[in-house]
Amino acid sequence: MKHLIGLVLGVCLCAVGTAQAANEDPMRSPGWRIIEQRFFADQTVVFDDRVQVLAPQSAEDTFAVPGFVRVDGIEDIERLLVIIDLNPVQKVLEMDINEAVMPSVGFRFKVQQRTPVRAAVQTSDGTWHLGGTWVNAAGGGCTAPSTASADPDWAKRLGEVDAALWRRDGGVQRLKTRLVHPMDTGLVDNIPAFYLETLELQDEKGDVLSTVTIESAMSENPVLSFDLAVDGPVRLNGRDNQGNRFRALVQP
Amino acid sequence: MRFTRTRSMLTGGASSALVLAALASGNVVASDNGVVTQQMINEDAMHTDRVTSYGMGPYHQRYSTLDQVNRDTVGGLVPAWAFSFGGEQQRGQETQALIHDGVMFITGSYSRMWALDAKSGEMLWSYEHRLPDGISPCCDVVNRGAAIYDDLVIFGTLDAMMVAVDRETGRVRWRERIADYQAGYSYTAAPLIANDLLIHGNSGGEFGAVGEVTARDPRTGEKVWSRPVVEGHMGMLPGGEESMTGEKNATWEGEAYVQGGGAPWLGGSYDPELNLIYIGTGNPAPWNAYSRPGDNLYTSTTLALDADNGEIVWHYQTTPNDHWDYDGVNELVLFDLEHDGETVKAAAKADRNGFFYVLNRENGELLNAAKFVDNVNWAEGIDLETGRPIETGNRPGNPADADGEEGESVVAQPAFLGGKNWNHMSYSQRTGLFYIPANEWEMEIWNEPVTYRRGAAYLGAGFTIRPIYDDKVGVLRAMDPQTLEVKFEVPNPTPLWSSVLTTAGGLVFYGTPEGHLKAICDETGEELWHFQTGSGVVGQPVTWEMDGEQYITVASGWGGAVPLWGGEIGPLVSHITQGGMMWTFKLADIHAASANR
Repeated sequence: MKHLIGLVLGVCLCAVGTAQAANEDPMRSPGWRIIEQRFFADQTVVFDDRVQVLAPQSAEDTFAVPGFVRVDGIEDIERLLVIIDLNPVQKVLEMDINEAVMPSVGFRFKVQQRTPVRAAVQTSDGTWHLGGTWVNAAGGGCTAPSTASADPDWAKRLGEVDAALWRRDGGVQRLKTRLVHPMDTGLVDNIPAFYLETLELQDEKGDVLSTVTIESAMSENPVLSFDLAVDGPVRLNGRDNQGNRFRALVQP
Repeated sequence: MRFTRTRSMLTGGASSALVLAALASGNVVASDNGVVTQQMINEDAMHTDRVTSYGMGPYHQRYSTLDQVNRDTVGGLVPAWAFSFGGEQQRGQETQALIHDGVMFITGSYSRMWALDAKSGEMLWSYEHRLPDGISPCCDVVNRGAAIYDDLVIFGTLDAMMVAVDRETGRVRWRERIADYQAGYSYTAAPLIANDLLIHGNSGGEFGAVGEVTARDPRTGEKVWSRPVVEGHMGMLPGGEESMTGEKNATWEGEAYVQGGGAPWLGGSYDPELNLIYIGTGNPAPWNAYSRPGDNLYTSTTLALDADNGEIVWHYQTTPNDHWDYDGVNELVLFDLEHDGETVKAAAKADRNGFFYVLNRENGELLNAAKFVDNVNWAEGIDLETGRPIETGNRPGNPADADGEEGESVVAQPAFLGGKNWNHMSYSQRTGLFYIPANEWEMEIWNEPVTYRRGAAYLGAGFTIRPIYDDKVGVLRAMDPQTLEVKFEVPNPTPLWSSVLTTAGGLVFYGTPEGHLKAICDETGEELWHFQTGSGVVGQPVTWEMDGEQYITVASGWGGAVPLWGGEIGPLVSHITQGGMMWTFKLADIHAASANR
């Protein structure tokens, strides 16, 4: 935890103007046209500095760059999406936002080269609100083998979950979880794509609070933080792209 | 749990023409958005536009009624496309393709699977299983094929999992553990769809794994029943009730049954009308038979299981108290036999132990048996009254009687890789003959004391294989199941490790380690065509038709047990280079045009 806080403090909040119409990327990303076509084709997009991505200006470890999405003052959010423009695998995660799950998420991601990191939130009228920041990086985070791929015993620890759930101000519970998983992208020769692809957050009864879809741009042994507006224990129900199931019950 | 079963009979003889006529008008097969039903699998052998099951139909005859490619036209067979299995993982490719709705489903070494456009060979999706480091495949990292059912493609992996993926996208729908790979279990066979259930065995014969047949709901992977194949072990009936296999210690002494082996590591065949699953079981463990006196049921046996509950309906043990690694896993091929003036529901098996058996598949009664390889010295023959082998006493000596660790060694024929191994024979409805990919070899074998250690090899024997002849190991034999006479044989310098396909075009297709896919005349054995695929062929040819053209496909990629276990056969095959390609053939246009005229 200390590690993460340390890095967040060093963050530059690259806020980029107020909400502006699409097509003119305030981040001037060379990847924007492709990102726009791939994720937002025929949808309304506004650049909105109320959507903030906190990330270090420069990535110390390109395999695990801490990021945090924070949204202030936008109502009726239904979806939240995190994208790395210039990664070979661009999407990090996408999740449902509702009364129980707040539009803030912490994660660690791989970075292939200097790139914008974007968050997009979709409101009930269908509009996507985008914000982001640039991260400098030496590169290669998506096309190097995972640590697990060199560990003969990786299968023994696969799926181990560490998690904590604690109360913060304003009736919010913070859930932080770490799952042991190689998160291989499939871009390294002879190491098949192998990554956590969905994580359901459920209440104690098993009702789904949010479904988080995850791609292999998420770091090895994914670390995720969520802010929940509900009390009580949370169940985690994960599944990877090869059909492995991961379940855990997290008590406050 | 109840399963609705679509029982549809494979009709034989006079009524089959009628069925085919009905099919042409589209009345018989319920095709629901291209999903595969049990009925389609039951009737697989009647359709030429698809291959929806391993064995080309539940009878496992590997016979096609297609005849566009025939003795006259086969010379014009040319590659239509090829697909590389890729990567550095070029090991044995033993897969049998399935073809449905213009898509080919194949599996490859290291637990990989692909969907290809059957016409162009273009890849539609791939699934690469992430394998742990500690897998223990005894006999190369092979896979023999998938099963298709509903909208799923299902295959087993080297770390002993069953994985079901969406037929359209390749995305995993479910995955279930068969057994613990760290205890030596694995899986290399193609699963069977029977009675609307997914049927699979397990592998791990050389690691003291206990053989078991499991039935699952193919849509969810949920276990429906299980049947261990070693006496005294507990299985599960539908609904969860436990039930013991056989009677504990009836044919095993003491605790030997606990790690008794018997893994049914090859797929099974199925009679939809009798609702019986036929599956062979592996050798008992360890190889040293002095540590397990008794017949050791149900190892080295063909079992007939009730597909509803997995109970053993009958069994036929080919090698009681096996001492030579004569697994009884080889396929039981179902066919109709004229016997004493009657048509008998029969079945035949060419066993590792060198004998060809003809059984009544309703009750397991032995109808006839004879050697199908020239060199068999562990038994003189099979007693047709008792069904038991007449042994010659050629067993390795007991290490307890010897000075030092090793018992006295003997030269046994066939060698442990068998008169025929896993690679499947074919039954031609056209000639009424079985075409057996046989091997002539022998071994020196001796016993040693052994204790079971989880995950370690559990043999208690040493051995080395050697050739018997200078000029051949492999022999393709055409055998008449009525008379048990060999009609002709085609020798091959190296061991045959590919399955066989027969067609109404009067052709027999099979591959050789030398790299050839061959077509020979089904009456004389004369070679009519061959193609050099670039690496050894240990795959399984199948044929189907698409847009009026007959296609033949086979995997090429040298590997399997021979290079790993072949002893003195090694020098014969050490020059064979690695590769990994799916080759698909059709007639050159000019020939296709003349054949259609």
